[in-house]
Amino acid sequence: MVKNRWLLVAILVVSTALILGCAQEQQPTTPSGEGKVETLYFGAPISLSGKFAEEGKASLEGMKIAAKWINDHGGIKVGDVTYNIEIKAYDDESKKENVQSLIERLATVDNVKFILAPYSSGLTLAAAPIAEKYQVLLNSHGGASDYIFEQGYYYVVQTLSPASRYQTGFLDMVKAKDPDAKRLALVYEDGEFSRAVHEAAREYAKQLGFEIVYEKTYPAGATDLSPILNELKAANPDVLIGGGHFADGQLLAKQLAELKIDLKAISILVAPTFTSFYEALGNKAEGIAGPAQWEVGVKYSPEAAEKLGIEWYGPTQEEFLSAYKEAMGEEPPYQAAEAAAAVLSYAKAIEKAQSLDPAKVREAMNDLEFMSIYGVWKIDPETGKQIGHEMVIIQWQNGEKKIVWPESAANAEPCYPMPTWDEKEGGATCGS
Amino acid sequence: MAFVEQLISNLLYGAILGSVYGLATMGLSLIFGVLRIVNVGHGAFIMVGAFIAYWMFILYGIPPLISLFLAIAVGMAIGLAIYMLVVKRLVDAPELASLLAMFAIGIFIEEFAKQIWGADYVGYSWEIGGVSMLFTEVPFTKLLAFASSIVIAAVVYVWFRKTKIGKAVRAVVEDREGATTCGIDVSRIYALSFSLGIGLTVLSGVLVTLFTPVGINVYMGGEYTLKAFVIAVLGGLASPWGAFYAGFIFGLIENGSYTLLGLIPGVEPFGLTRFLSSVVLMLVLLVKPTGLLGGE
Repeated sequence: MVKNRWLLVAILVVSTALILGCAQEQQPTTPSGEGKVETLYFGAPISLSGKFAEEGKASLEGMKIAAKWINDHGGIKVGDVTYNIEIKAYDDESKKENVQSLIERLATVDNVKFILAPYSSGLTLAAAPIAEKYQVLLNSHGGASDYIFEQGYYYVVQTLSPASRYQTGFLDMVKAKDPDAKRLALVYEDGEFSRAVHEAAREYAKQLGFEIVYEKTYPAGATDLSPILNELKAANPDVLIGGGHFADGQLLAKQLAELKIDLKAISILVAPTFTSFYEALGNKAEGIAGPAQWEVGVKYSPEAAEKLGIEWYGPTQEEFLSAYKEAMGEEPPYQAAEAAAAVLSYAKAIEKAQSLDPAKVREAMNDLEFMSIYGVWKIDPETGKQIGHEMVIIQWQNGEKKIVWPESAANAEPCYPMPTWDEKEGGATCGS
Repeated sequence: MAFVEQLISNLLYGAILGSVYGLATMGLSLIFGVLRIVNVGHGAFIMVGAFIAYWMFILYGIPPLISLFLAIAVGMAIGLAIYMLVVKRLVDAPELASLLAMFAIGIFIEEFAKQIWGADYVGYSWEIGGVSMLFTEVPFTKLLAFASSIVIAAVVYVWFRKTKIGKAVRAVVEDREGATTCGIDVSRIYALSFSLGIGLTVLSGVLVTLFTPVGINVYMGGEYTLKAFVIAVLGGLASPWGAFYAGFIFGLIENGSYTLLGLIPGVEPFGLTRFLSSVVLMLVLLVKPTGLLGGE
């Protein structure tokens, strides 16, 4: 009995201490001589479990790093109030149903006005109508689909490059390196994403003056692409863009090598950005390029921003890398960088609007342009689609994944034209 | 001219691919023929073979041709274990029970493999050159896949026809009760056939990587399961060599029809090749409901 009473007292003491501690934390600290300091919440329904758990965790860490940087650098100033940012995250379990109710909860119960979209196009698409309904801003950092931004939503904006721009940077690069390379071929997977990418790329290529000499799709799960590639060879293209996912991207590169179809440049979706691509293909991967949203090693910096006449905002690459490594014990994937950029864009836009009203902040975004670790941020005022950010083009050179485009991000020169298959058989690499 | 050249090139690749498909279906047919069990987890065993080839090459530099022996040994051991633990108890159970059990085993193997090899798409690069052949380039690895498939199928054929135990297996396929009366230990034949069927399937996984040494992934089997079922039915479900011939035909149709379908303006021929293979399957079944070699 006595023992129990002591236990009760102990619990009471501890919980009182805890409550007091929490209460103290919640009290806004007011530095002398300055205006009020308050906390501003950014909502984040993000996948911490389920199939997007890895991507979701990386995104959340990216957001936190950006928020901390903003708070450490004076917060967001609206009038004479300084706002410190906090990310209010809920696990959506990678499920659409959860996303919708979490947006509702954030907008109504938590009274959050600025929401960072969930990971993936599918979940962002589920979130968009709910955000629109409650007139809270939704910033997509993991949903590349163009479709989301063609529904007429006003409160939905995008930070990452849309699918329609995945292969356009590569075409710009080829055009800049070799205006005579005109014969373009497209060979891609018959799927929603790769179709969106390549149909947009085809139109863009025509504008740049490319001649489309071959275009074919293959079904998902194809095990032999030789029927297409035999035809492709006869079309005698200079440049090839294509691919879709992991397996078919590897297969496409492998069979181009087997059939010895020499091209000046190749850009394949998704597959080449993974280290396993080089492991699978060996030096046959040399010179093969592919688009990526962001890569460790990009050179976006305050100096690069100055050169372009754009303002720089947020942590430097080094600061971001070390903060991420410290928290997660590994190098950040691109999901972390794009999520961080979304947080930075909110902060920038709120400060520009001098208001916490989502409609005014959305309006301020229309002519907002800045550069961060992730690249340029600028949206199309009509649709909210990202138009400032460029996909970085990676290329395998001498066994290393190098960033070759855009120039403001590049850490290596493009290897152009890439070595022929026969040269590679003899051991040639890019740069040898 | 270009048309004919492409058709011939495609048929050549189709023949090579078809031989691999054929071998990758024999195990399925053998198990169905003897035990009347539909191995819906078939593709998972192909995946295991693919990873054996990958691991042996990446870790020890062992060429896939040697991995073939390891693969059949590992496959037979896995097969025997599954037979002893699960299948033995289900042979006389309703067919749905064994179907579900094989489905579960397939998923289990995939998830188990994911713990070992992860979810990445991997590949290996065994460079032994190639040869210009009939208007196209063919790497030696693909020719080896072709030759090995034929040799292995022939060995299995001879084993079934000429050895005593092979004949016993055939007797069980024909008439289970009759075989028992003749003194054949049916449960031993079951164990052997199941084990051999899985062994052949795992082995075919190595050949699959000889043809396509990239895109190896724990979930790669699904595509092969689907094709193996079509091919098995085409060949007459219970006949392993029927399956081999059918695989061959399937490969030729899949690749050969591409050039022909490409002549139709405005269509994407690659998507239609699968449709065409299904049409051929349907026609064969209409003419000969037991499949090509169903009576064998």
